[in-house]
Amino acid sequence: MDILSHLTPMFFGLIAAGTLVGIIFGAIPGMTATMAVAVCLPLTYALGLESGIALLLGLYVGGISGGMVPAVLLNIPGTPSSITTTFDGYPMAKRGEGERALKVGIVASIFGGLFSAAVLFFFAPVLADFAIKFSYVEKFLIILLALTVIASLCSNMLMGIFSGVLGVWLSLIGTYSITNGGNGEPRLMFDFMEYYLIDGFSLLPVLIGIFGLTTVLLDAEKGFKDETGQGPIKLKGGARFSFGIFKGQQINLVRSSGIGTFVGMLPGVGGSAASVLAYSQEKNFSRDSSQMGKGAPQGIVASESSNNALTGGALVPLLSLGIPGDSTTAILIGAFTLQGIQVGPLFIGNNMDTWYLMIIALVAANFLMFGIMYFAIRYIAKVIEVPKFILYPLIIMMCVVGAYAINYGIMFDVWTLLIFGVFGYVAHKIGLEVVPLIIGFILGNSAEVYFVKSIESYGNLTIFFTKSPIAVLLWALIAVSVAFAIYLRVCNRRQPIVES
Amino acid sequence: MKPFWGSTCLALLASAAIGLTTSAQAADDCPLPGNLRVVIGSTSTGGDTYQNSSIVVDRLADKLDINAKVDAVGAMAAFRALERSRRGNTVMIFHDQSYLGNLYGVNGYSDIFEDYVVGPTIAINPGNAYLVPKDSPYQSLEEIIDAAGNGKEVRVAIQPGGVSEIGFSALKNAVRLKYPGKEDNLVAVNTGSQADKNQMLFDGLADVIQGSVQANEQYTQLPADDQKAMRFVWLTARHDTIAQANEEGMGNTTREQLLQYVEPNVHVPMNADQDFTFDKEFFFLYNKDMDPAAIHCIDDALAEIYDEGEIQEQQKRAFFIPNFKPSQEAAGYLKEKRDEYATILDNLKG
Amino acid sequence: MESHWLSLFDVTINFDQSHLFFPRIVTWVLVILLALILLSRYRRVIPALKHTGRVLAGREGEFDHKRFFGTLVLTTGYFYLMSVLSDVFPNTGYSFLIMSVVFILLLSLLYVDHLTRRLFVIILLNALIAPTLAWYVLAQLFRITLP
Repeated sequence: MDILSHLTPMFFGLIAAGTLVGIIFGAIPGMTATMAVAVCLPLTYALGLESGIALLLGLYVGGISGGMVPAVLLNIPGTPSSITTTFDGYPMAKRGEGERALKVGIVASIFGGLFSAAVLFFFAPVLADFAIKFSYVEKFLIILLALTVIASLCSNMLMGIFSGVLGVWLSLIGTYSITNGGNGEPRLMFDFMEYYLIDGFSLLPVLIGIFGLTTVLLDAEKGFKDETGQGPIKLKGGARFSFGIFKGQQINLVRSSGIGTFVGMLPGVGGSAASVLAYSQEKNFSRDSSQMGKGAPQGIVASESSNNALTGGALVPLLSLGIPGDSTTAILIGAFTLQGIQVGPLFIGNNMDTWYLMIIALVAANFLMFGIMYFAIRYIAKVIEVPKFILYPLIIMMCVVGAYAINYGIMFDVWTLLIFGVFGYVAHKIGLEVVPLIIGFILGNSAEVYFVKSIESYGNLTIFFTKSPIAVLLWALIAVSVAFAIYLRVCNRRQPIVES
Repeated sequence: MKPFWGSTCLALLASAAIGLTTSAQAADDCPLPGNLRVVIGSTSTGGDTYQNSSIVVDRLADKLDINAKVDAVGAMAAFRALERSRRGNTVMIFHDQSYLGNLYGVNGYSDIFEDYVVGPTIAINPGNAYLVPKDSPYQSLEEIIDAAGNGKEVRVAIQPGGVSEIGFSALKNAVRLKYPGKEDNLVAVNTGSQADKNQMLFDGLADVIQGSVQANEQYTQLPADDQKAMRFVWLTARHDTIAQANEEGMGNTTREQLLQYVEPNVHVPMNADQDFTFDKEFFFLYNKDMDPAAIHCIDDALAEIYDEGEIQEQQKRAFFIPNFKPSQEAAGYLKEKRDEYATILDNLKG
Repeated sequence: MESHWLSLFDVTINFDQSHLFFPRIVTWVLVILLALILLSRYRRVIPALKHTGRVLAGREGEFDHKRFFGTLVLTTGYFYLMSVLSDVFPNTGYSFLIMSVVFILLLSLLYVDHLTRRLFVIILLNALIAPTLAWYVLAQLFRITLP
């Protein structure tokens, strides 16, 4: 076996280094896995193929996993795909269960990661053939299904849907991009705004603006009265972590990991849709979802297992079609071509050794992530003990770095941060719901492209129902998802709710 | 409050001092900044523009003893950054899209020959290709032209407004020359990424797709019963360009085999006596007010790099064809190229 | 007969206008939803607006003007000066470094409640070390472009 010669301490050392750096990138609000991979890409020229892969896959897994840390502790998603982790993670942290929430997340993460690695290893070519059955029509329906989550997440149906649609509307500002097959014409803005808004608002600055800066503004308004050098949240207290939490979560783990893997596989649908879908399916189909959104571990399980399952899923089309499943794997293509390796449907057959090494690296990265995070957590969790007058200025600074760096140095992205920070504050005051809004914003662009292109291709609206059995199945899921959301709402209404 | 102001001022001064010393240490007679930012017209760090730029920029930085970094900001942001950088701290690398976008009237693309200084060309990506499904009734590009001429609708999946569309326009023009008035039977299916174009073919929504040798070669190696299998019908590159590629070609397709799909074997007339070809060429763009001495400096440094001969090997390994032309020559050459394509598009409009 | 019925759902999109197709639908949905919201809660809208006005003017409720508007002003100033200064030190990240030190110091001082000498030293050190570390690691080691 030739590959054994590659499994040196150096190989695993690089995976560990990659995972650690990835976790740090993911854990800093505004920095993402994609960024981690992008900045380390030049290092791989010197490292050679095998070592380069080890490093990059470590970064990828670490970056996706690290995103849960600020999501739980600060209510700021570290990466777009950890947005659903905030729903239950932050309420838990507020109860003093930050460490517990993170541990739940880590266990779910490693499960999702290993699940998707296994799927990748055993089924990649078959699944790639299945994934190409998803044309514009089916992809649009997937997005629609993900959007139905808004109905089950919002606290007021009308406001929630309005916020979601507003999110979609905001995402359409800019040009109808020619890289998506659009005509490159601007819309939803005045001429004078074109100079800045021709590419629209970028997701990451919007996200960290609405979550990060808005939080700072809301707290600033209250004046930090309780600040005497101690953090507002107690680190200890509340329930402790035990693996018993996962009793009864098997279905959730497998379903969420499956959703994550599968959504990761569909090029263009985007990673954030995975955790949103997994979260809403758990909410709709679990036996007891009444606590979700108020600090239920099952929410974190759904979110984190699905977003880590993205890693293996996104590698499926990369390795069996030569097509990246998400923005991070798009950079991995660059790493391969730089080494003179061609990716495409023959990749696995032509590069058996590399293929095995990648699977080994992926599995190892998941275990290393688990090891690093599990033992580092008690120190990481201390971040919430840092007084806000120290913490908040740092968060703003790191948000600036993240916003500026996400598109490799565009000042308007930093202004977007401010615009949406203030917007988030106003939205909060007038009762708009931020989470549906962000979900709408994340999915809006894909929804447009898939919708318009479906109609352009087939010229008839009925195609959405008649395209394929998959389309019919997706409609059924959408109907069930909406019905459950309404059913749950009616049920909850019977119980008295104490709210503002 | 006094100590606080004192320390801030100190920090300011200290940082300013560091700034001045480093920016003053650029090479002696070269009015280039110590930190050069190279923006590219693509947002992808996995794509050909980034790869090509980083090969060239790394060597350039070594040669000039400066720091240089490639930033994948995308076309619009790159043009903006270039406009702001009068002192030459930012330069841009892009390809034919920069003027094709303008020819196709895409929003935000101005005339680069007017608004910027066109710098040296550095390389060609010879991979622009057109493909059909392996079981397609069309055996060659000629059959496609004839089919369209005989009233059959042929759908071609492209990304609108530039490099991906120019071959389609040329094809349309060829139908017009051979079968006047029938060119509208060649229909563009406007879509996005390579994945989308492939998907169009799998879904049977397109008969022909634009693709590339790099991204699609493996699909051409699949067995005919695989629904993903494809076949090249046309490479838009010049014969001479492909002839310079490494002999192994790409993947399982040798240079010899690739040469079957370029002119004169495949014949797309542009006018009465000339065939259409398109090489995707990468070149520098500078701010209008950039110091001519700095432009000269980059030209000279590149000339030296290309004289050494190593960069050519590196480029060819990555399936790029080295193609260095100093600024003056490059600008004239690209302008001529632009004008040729402008004629094609005008003919199609009229 | 069937095909006639189906053709009711025929839609053709002119490519030149396709950028408006989806935004128009979304805008209409948005307007209708807004109308629904206003209709169902018009009674609550005006008092709420009045309340907001009073809070902002400081006549009601707990609202820390100094810190809220201070945050806005400092952040705006931070971003603005950073973009101005980045033309002075292009492509080095110095602008980010300098402005972040100033910003973090000022914002910390704005937020802290009982400023003691010890706290001031902590704040000052934090304002100096954190941006320097961020700048060094990101701009120098990882070569990320900073303002």
